[in-house]
Amino acid sequence: MGRFRSLAVAVVLCLSAASPSFAAQKWGIDGEMVAQFEAKVVDLLCELRGDCPKACGGGKRQLGLVRDDGTLLLAVKSNTLFAGATLDLLPYCGQRVEVDGLIISHPAMVIYMLQRLRKPGATEWIRATAFAEDWKQRNKTEDAKRWFRRDGMANDVIGTFGKVGRPDIVPPPPVQ
Amino acid sequence: MPRFVRPFLVVLVLVCTLLPEARADAVKRIRVEGELIDTWCYVTEIMYARGSAHFQCAVWCAVGGIPVSVRADDGTLYVVLRVEDDSQNVSNPAMIRIQSHRVTVDGDMIERDGVKYLLVTQVADDKGIVDLTHEKFGIQPWGM
Repeated sequence: MGRFRSLAVAVVLCLSAASPSFAAQKWGIDGEMVAQFEAKVVDLLCELRGDCPKACGGGKRQLGLVRDDGTLLLAVKSNTLFAGATLDLLPYCGQRVEVDGLIISHPAMVIYMLQRLRKPGATEWIRATAFAEDWKQRNKTEDAKRWFRRDGMANDVIGTFGKVGRPDIVPPPPVQ
Repeated sequence: MPRFVRPFLVVLVLVCTLLPEARADAVKRIRVEGELIDTWCYVTEIMYARGSAHFQCAVWCAVGGIPVSVRADDGTLYVVLRVEDDSQNVSNPAMIRIQSHRVTVDGDMIERDGVKYLLVTQVADDKGIVDLTHEKFGIQPWGM
């Protein structure tokens, strides 16, 4: 009986994993786990300290996900290279959202990488690339490829302090 | 037992059951000495995420809005949510400029669900970048 139960669980898990509803991509990171769930979007400072500006701070505050069991997850990364998930989650401030991505468990902390999201009940997923869309608009350009090499603020800081952050140190060019 | 006592006891039990939840968000005043790091690269270990080797990458991540943390010498991470009166914790220009710096900060720490959040009340010291990891690991990412 126990064997049948284990087999049934394994079959259900395999079918679930093969289903399009589990479409988050793994990155091969230690401790990663594909995680699709519904949660409430919160401004972290509001949730933790009651410091609650309008509209979750309008994009200037880190946001988190409160799951139905009350667990707070820190949303650290989106589907845009080198970019966080604040602008993706911002339209859902204070509301429920369905997210798909990776929970990454590290000895130091547990974080969430958001890959796509949608309003509960909606059929279409939205890719978590709001930072790239916003960057294109702010920079009046049609693409955000390698945005980090073209960003004014990043280039200003790296131009001032150098690539290793110390203007007094000029590292040798990389060996080809 | 008087009739009114039973409901009172039920309420008391409920309050006692819920108290540990409230204590999870308790504030603790701490001093931390460590390095400002980019939380994503450090936690995922997808590249060497410390010191001068990672400065460029840390700047990109901070500009992109990835949370900044302080990594204490014992490996504990504290996600910075506020620095003194400044509660902008996404792409904060002042924070971007001091990525990879070794700092000493005082602040209020709140721990919840395996994450330590830090509200810095004072930056007591900033030694700049002292961990010259680029000598061993090159410039992250991609060596350029």
